[in-house]
Amino acid sequence: MSLLRSSQDLIKYREKLSAEVVKDIPSVLVCFGTGCFANGSGGVAENFKEEIKKRGLKVNVNIGMKTTGCHGYCANGPLVVIKPKDILYLKVKPDDVPEIIEKSIVGNETIERLVYKDVNTKEKIAEYHEIPFYKHQKRIALEKIGLVDPASIEDYIISGGYAALAKALTMKPDAIIAEIDKSGLRGRGGGGFPAGRKWRSCVEAPGDVRYVICNGDEGDPGAFMDRSVMEGDPHTVIEGMIIGAIAIGSHKGYIYVRDEYPLAVKNLQRAIDAARASGLLGENILGSGFSFDLKISRGGGAFVCGESSALMRSVGGDIGEPRAKYIRSVEKGLYDKPTVLNNVETWANVPVIIEKGADWYASLGTKGSKGTKVFSLVGKVNNTGLIEVPMGITLRSLIFDIGGGILNNKKFKAVQTGGPSGGCIPESLLDMQVDFDSLSEAGSMMGSGGMIVMDEESCMVDVAKYFTNFLVEESCGKCTPCRDGLPQMLEILTRITEGKGKEGDIELLEDICETLSWGALCGLGSSAPNPVLSTLKHFKHEYEAHIKDKKCPAGVCKTLITYHIDKDKCTGCTLCAKRCPQKCISGEKKQLHVIDESKCIKCGICKDVCKFNAVMID
Amino acid sequence: MNTVEFIINGKKVSAVRDECIMKIAKENGIHIDGLCYSPDLETAGGSCRLCLVEVHEKGKMRVVTSCNYPVRANIEVKTDTPFIKKLKRSVIELLMARAPESAAIREIAAREGITETRFKHIDANQKMKNCIACGLCAQVCSEVVGVSAISMVNRGFEKTSGTPFKKMSSVCIGCGACAYICPTNAIEMKETKSSRIIWGREFAMQKCSECGVHYIPIAQVTWIVETTGKERKFFDKCPDCR
Repeated sequence: MSLLRSSQDLIKYREKLSAEVVKDIPSVLVCFGTGCFANGSGGVAENFKEEIKKRGLKVNVNIGMKTTGCHGYCANGPLVVIKPKDILYLKVKPDDVPEIIEKSIVGNETIERLVYKDVNTKEKIAEYHEIPFYKHQKRIALEKIGLVDPASIEDYIISGGYAALAKALTMKPDAIIAEIDKSGLRGRGGGGFPAGRKWRSCVEAPGDVRYVICNGDEGDPGAFMDRSVMEGDPHTVIEGMIIGAIAIGSHKGYIYVRDEYPLAVKNLQRAIDAARASGLLGENILGSGFSFDLKISRGGGAFVCGESSALMRSVGGDIGEPRAKYIRSVEKGLYDKPTVLNNVETWANVPVIIEKGADWYASLGTKGSKGTKVFSLVGKVNNTGLIEVPMGITLRSLIFDIGGGILNNKKFKAVQTGGPSGGCIPESLLDMQVDFDSLSEAGSMMGSGGMIVMDEESCMVDVAKYFTNFLVEESCGKCTPCRDGLPQMLEILTRITEGKGKEGDIELLEDICETLSWGALCGLGSSAPNPVLSTLKHFKHEYEAHIKDKKCPAGVCKTLITYHIDKDKCTGCTLCAKRCPQKCISGEKKQLHVIDESKCIKCGICKDVCKFNAVMID
Repeated sequence: MNTVEFIINGKKVSAVRDECIMKIAKENGIHIDGLCYSPDLETAGGSCRLCLVEVHEKGKMRVVTSCNYPVRANIEVKTDTPFIKKLKRSVIELLMARAPESAAIREIAAREGITETRFKHIDANQKMKNCIACGLCAQVCSEVVGVSAISMVNRGFEKTSGTPFKKMSSVCIGCGACAYICPTNAIEMKETKSSRIIWGREFAMQKCSECGVHYIPIAQVTWIVETTGKERKFFDKCPDCR
């Protein structure tokens, strides 16, 4: 590691590093993100290292270069990419390594059984960028993830890293803000507030000490966008924050990461240390005279600490509770000083805007929402994972082109966006453009980018209950509507799903929702009714079916359903009777089987095991 | 001083910029309910949400807590619209469901013509049945008394105040400020002839050398002497006999 004392030094260093890279030899990228690592990519990487050593081949084995999320197939990990041919192998086991080396590195073959197979067309595709999952994406914030080694600052510099910082150091702070403003970048954490305007307000606030904060307290169920960025490309976040600091004249920043993200904490800390040792962070950055340092603040995992004012209190060592933001945190934030807080993805967009210019960035996306957005696409879709798409893509394209449609050819029912306090969007709105304003209009929100797809077997009252339960658990308890209103909502939703719903329950729910929307203290509280409000708006008939007819149309709510075996479909294979934990299915071999409803606990095992779809739900 | 003019319930009033709506309303004879606001404390947390009012500015309406919303020039405040009454009703009913035995809450409810809540009482399994987690006790202990013997504990529905790990606090001076400020009388403070029990700890009381009344915890005298430099002798007599 050499200390870089000027922008010129950085350019020379990049040239030197690039010259050292041996070109035209194949390299192997083994995904080391949390998902793939859990699936055993560590063993795969070890075997690659050993096998290559044994053979004395000239092959770069770059391990730990990718995070799983961005490659989509966490369930199909560990993922291995062979460069320069860009062959993607899925579910690679350590034992596959000799064959991969033999056939795809020494030889020129692709191994059919390890490549992507389209569930719909059955077509096999080996080339990374040709796979539909990647074809429709546009990667900006995730651009370097999977290509650079998050543990290597050299790798980041080779790929053009810190060039934006060098450029920003030559710019007037006001010009940086003007550029961000012009790009139309809006906060990716949930609110969608224009980043440039936020920075400018901070500069205009009186005070001589200012802070920049990165919000990495990602807490939505099913969301892993920020984790993947912090794990897979920590330097981009750091670079973005330094640029922000130059713009607002800050000398100290914090990255708030929840401690359940150990790999993110580790990779960020390593990146901060490396940047400091290189003269890119700390005193006198690149000899410019500008100083700025960063510290990681680890969160205890409270959902509410993702709310900016609670987060700032937590960084300051107080209880993570929000405060009324009548005086904004750009004026009085951390330690009551003017503070700019943006989330991980927002910071990750900053370097590329400075480097390629606001006009380029603003050319992507829609009128009110520029650039791209990262989503974690999960739920009942064929291809789950982390994706980055231009703003304005339709939900249909997102779910059916990239996501590959609904699992097991079931029918699409709704997509929940925006995390627990987002809302459910029905099929009739599938052709809606995905951007900040359209999602809000549909009763949901962009949030930080969680996207949970649900099929016909999801009960929307049950879904609302699930998210409300999450919010009950995570409410900080400071204000009455959230602390006492949410448990009351859960109480009502529970009784509806248990068939005890009463006339007037929907109106009572709506009343609490209104009290929360208008009367809660913080943004989490005021958005907490969204799961209920949006399901009431688009799926009111399901609530009514539960309350009036005592039926769960999706066949989910246990007290409202019964199982029976279809006499025409049952072959008398006895499998269901064997697996029934209650031993309440009877019938002779090759004869119709019957479920004793009085003993049935509605666990659904019989339905799952039946090969003839003979078990029906009423 | 930066004076601003604004409208409250149709009346033009003037105030110092940044003062809270509730204070100005009171000065102008407009009563706004509130349980978590104390004029003796510098800041208001805005947690009970009883003091919600409408603020109209530049064609937009916001619902804010009047206990901590800083007044600005040309805003229009409405404290008694049907919408505010509706929101307030729900907040009151939620509080009634939480602390059915609280007289303070019932009193506010009665003023609004509410005698019953539509919500079910859910037991939070807390010792202090009437606690509405407003945080005044912890705030007064830290900001006014300066000992921070108690703080808000737990989260969500189980939020309440307490000493660390529910153990007897070694720093508590038994002053009782928390119990005096509590709007719902949730904090138990028992007095015997010569001692006081609060937060599970018994405090010996100083006896007035003149009238013989036990009037202040000795631990509190020690705290005042140590932090202010006042002579211990000063506390020999109670305020009435001094």
